[in-house]
Amino acid sequence: MTADTKLGCRISENIKIQFSIMPVMRSLKTTAGGVSFENPLILASGILDENGYTIKRILEEGSGGAVTKSIGMEERDGYIPPVVVEHENYIINAMGLPNPGIENFGEEIKIARTAGKPIIGSIYAADPEGFLNLAEKMVDYGVQAIELNLSCPHVKGFGTEVGSDPVLVKEIVKTLKGSIDIPIWSKLSPNVTSIVEIGSAASDSDGIVLINTVRAMAIDIYARKPVLKNTYGGMSGSSIKPVGIRMVYEIKKELDLNIIGVGGIESAEDAIEYIMAGASAVQIGTAVWKYGRNIFSTINSGISKFMEDNGYENVSKMSGVAVQ
Amino acid sequence: MINHVTIEEKVQETPTVFSMYFKWDMKVMPGQFVMVWVPGFSEVPMSLSSTGERKCLTVKVYGETTARLAALNTGDRIYLRGPYGKPFTLTEGKKLLIGGGSGMASMRPLIDDRATGIIASRNADELLFADHFKEGQAICVTEDGSKGMKGLAPDALDKLNLKEFDAIYVCGPERMMYAIFQKLKGKDLNVEFSLERSMKCGIGLCDSCSIDGFQVCRDGPTFHIKALEESREFGKTKLLSSGKRVYF
Repeated sequence: MTADTKLGCRISENIKIQFSIMPVMRSLKTTAGGVSFENPLILASGILDENGYTIKRILEEGSGGAVTKSIGMEERDGYIPPVVVEHENYIINAMGLPNPGIENFGEEIKIARTAGKPIIGSIYAADPEGFLNLAEKMVDYGVQAIELNLSCPHVKGFGTEVGSDPVLVKEIVKTLKGSIDIPIWSKLSPNVTSIVEIGSAASDSDGIVLINTVRAMAIDIYARKPVLKNTYGGMSGSSIKPVGIRMVYEIKKELDLNIIGVGGIESAEDAIEYIMAGASAVQIGTAVWKYGRNIFSTINSGISKFMEDNGYENVSKMSGVAVQ
Repeated sequence: MINHVTIEEKVQETPTVFSMYFKWDMKVMPGQFVMVWVPGFSEVPMSLSSTGERKCLTVKVYGETTARLAALNTGDRIYLRGPYGKPFTLTEGKKLLIGGGSGMASMRPLIDDRATGIIASRNADELLFADHFKEGQAICVTEDGSKGMKGLAPDALDKLNLKEFDAIYVCGPERMMYAIFQKLKGKDLNVEFSLERSMKCGIGLCDSCSIDGFQVCRDGPTFHIKALEESREFGKTKLLSSGKRVYF
């Protein structure tokens, strides 16, 4: 059976359900990190978000918004393959921040924006000035918010190396908040000793995105070598969900910040779990590998049904209800 | 998940193309591909040139990794993951296979008595699998005229009554495929193209190989001519390894 036939079956099943029960669709509208979304699902950075046409298609097929690939000042090819390790319940990737450079990314955002949904521009740099230059460009391109990549686990000098230093994080967020008029999101790494310490340093952000991938690696025992060309990578997928839930919960409980949850979400139940832990919206990435682009509409239907069955009027009423 | 298979037989097809036969207990359909890893070097996407119980990879040497792969011998191990992608739609009827360079490799499983081939290459030495077609059903086209017609693959189309074919399959460099597409579009022909783009993850995540929002590794590599007629990128623009958009 081809991927198309499978997709066809799934779509027709959904239509059948909608027509036979005719549920009252609950509003999935939500505001997260200062941005309004028609539903709480956002495409996570790094997944299917390099080509403007891909972002546009994902948005048209059900995602409420999309975060771009992380963009830096200079064009970067990323690492030589293998760039992924595939396992039943997780992926380890070391793409190496491939990106065309900020000057070349305007055209992709222009294409993506034709979908008419929020685009969040992800950026990476080594210092506050770098982040500010990139953010200003992103504002020019018309994005609705900036996501600071403070957490890529596999590129020297960027990502986690910046994001695990609370003083630097505080300075970056302060610099951007003082100069940029659109919302600033900080995407944090789980590869730190205290997520509360870093969360606190980033607390002036409009949104805290939790979590990026978990630093990991795999070895092929016959080749007797690490599989990833870069040796180390970041793990994503359903295996990391409990780590993400814990960190979202911890930041909500200790700091009560506005949170966008991400890490291992594959179903409506997973998304609701993140929302109940304190997230206002969630991001989806790796699940696209298992379930295809259709995952967004499937999860949205599931959340809507859960809200209907359990008497929730909107997403914000569910947010943080499990925090005690 | 990485699979480990052992080369049972190695055949030199042309001066730069080698076929590696191996047993692999995995269902693979014609047109699907695998990611082949050469430890210490890189990982490359390759279509299988035989999809029965005995599988085959036909390797064209074009860089360090493929050179290493082509240098392997009987008894050596191949590391691969897959199969991935949407296969060709099979037909029992009369078919035309158009292969440029090593493009014929992915279509070799489709060759039968009812298949006609247009096999294109730079010169006579590099013609791939022309001898697998029934006698009189292989049209060779070479750029230097050293065998068959002198010219490019699209030139050979003019000699055929295309309506005779229940299905037409095309695989080769995008420039060649686009030239063929220009000749075949809007004629109500049943044509499938096997596309190639800069591919990294192979599993529909990294967006490196995307075209018009579709992932070549997952929605493709095979695309029907109808889908390509709506394309804003096919034959026009592509993304480099960095994601930078360039024009053909």
